Amino acid sequence: MSAITSQPTSSSGGILRYIGFVAMPLLVVIWSLIDPTLGAELVKWVPYLASGFWMNIVITFSAVTLGTIAGVLLGLMQLAPLWLIRWPAAIYVQIFRNAPALVLIFATTYIFPFEIVAFGQYLPFPDWIKAVIGLGILASAYIAEITRGAVLSIPTTQWEATKGLGFSRLQALRFVILPQCIRRSLPPWMNVASSIAMGTSLASLVGVHELMHAATDASTAVRRLDFTVIAYVVVMAAFFTLCYPLSRLTRRLEQRFNAG
Amino acid sequence: MQDMNPTSLFVDLTGRLGLNYEFLLTGYEAQIWRDGFLTTLYLVAITIPVSLFFGVIFAACLTSGRSWLSTPVRAFVELTRNTPTLVQLMFSFLVLNTVVSNLVGGGVNNPLSPFFWVVAVVGLHVAALHAEAIRGGIEAVPASMIEAARGMGFSQFEILRFVQIPLALRSSLPAIVNGLISLVKSTTVGNAIAVSEITYASIMVWTQRDNVVELMIVLLAFFSLINFLIARLGTWVERKLAVPGYGL
Repeated sequence: MSAITSQPTSSSGGILRYIGFVAMPLLVVIWSLIDPTLGAELVKWVPYLASGFWMNIVITFSAVTLGTIAGVLLGLMQLAPLWLIRWPAAIYVQIFRNAPALVLIFATTYIFPFEIVAFGQYLPFPDWIKAVIGLGILASAYIAEITRGAVLSIPTTQWEATKGLGFSRLQALRFVILPQCIRRSLPPWMNVASSIAMGTSLASLVGVHELMHAATDASTAVRRLDFTVIAYVVVMAAFFTLCYPLSRLTRRLEQRFNAG
Repeated sequence: MQDMNPTSLFVDLTGRLGLNYEFLLTGYEAQIWRDGFLTTLYLVAITIPVSLFFGVIFAACLTSGRSWLSTPVRAFVELTRNTPTLVQLMFSFLVLNTVVSNLVGGGVNNPLSPFFWVVAVVGLHVAALHAEAIRGGIEAVPASMIEAARGMGFSQFEILRFVQIPLALRSSLPAIVNGLISLVKSTTVGNAIAVSEITYASIMVWTQRDNVVELMIVLLAFFSLINFLIARLGTWVERKLAVPGYGL
């Protein structure tokens, strides 16, 4: 029965799934062709918007890299037998997993100085790096939980088997447990990456020149309501085209891992 | 030191630790900050029911099997899940709000406040998350149970109302609680359109006092506390609603 009822949903979803990749950019293109003056204005601003979106990608990439390295370490620390290692990691994860991304971005922006003195030289400390640190802290707390969950999901018999084969605890982790964890934690890791990508738009609120900031600049400069609409549609289209394939891939991986 | 009320005692004690909470002793800034906490709690308390209500409706549309219902909802869910909440909020506030203003003849007559837009955008965003979770729950209801209900003469809507949704809500409860926790965190985007919730109020205070670290400690503790309470409430409801023998 459920197979029959779910059939129409999945077929209509099937068409939608493919439209999803191109729908938003297509909407922007068609709209600019219908109204050429608007299209011309948009073409003029596209390089500026693109430079903003490049910043989003740089921040996402750096924050996810930073968060993954710190998160895996923290996740493993949470499983350490020694409470002196376990507790600080657990407290860190509990505090920052519950913190809003915006609060962390404000925190890093206002707490860190705007320049660092190193060897008598004044080095600027740009805002976007502070946003990277803020989002990286958030990502590390999420990824620590994912790592911990993945390690715990491996049956204890495997640990015992490695012990029987003469592996040390770290060797067992390196050669037996972690390779399996990577497979299991890939889908949730991609969810985190996608939510960090969307979180980069919050950096506009602390004055980082990224896509959202660029769109606001453009719409205040042009002062046309239809241009404001299309500028924000472009912003949505950019994020959607970045995140939608990622979420599709995540869902496919989830289904494959659940089946296998 | 003659009147040691709790506030001045607190300011004194934290001052010895090197933390500057002196603004609590002033009338104006302390008032803004207290109102900020209340606004955030108010925002959370209103947005949670909104998100649950629309989440159930979206899930019912997604599983209805009628493509004129499921296709627009599916498109909305995908759009809202894959674009940043801040962009949705700015789009709603700058575009939809202007359209509404033009319709009613000037911004003065516009009844929709920034507060309304935060509730609407965050509520619908989280409703999309709920919808996916509840949809999974509805599809997990055993086919034999639906056949039994149909055999007893339940209509399609009655099956949804009395069989599928009660079971789906139970099995998707952990995912719903996660959605509510992200709702609490998302309410902070309200500060982009000057809703005076706690982050906005804190910025007002620390630009005057330069005590970012102090306020940040309170903010992190505040959000941890709300999310802890929601998680506890979730496990309590889960235990309360458990169907014995059904494994939920």
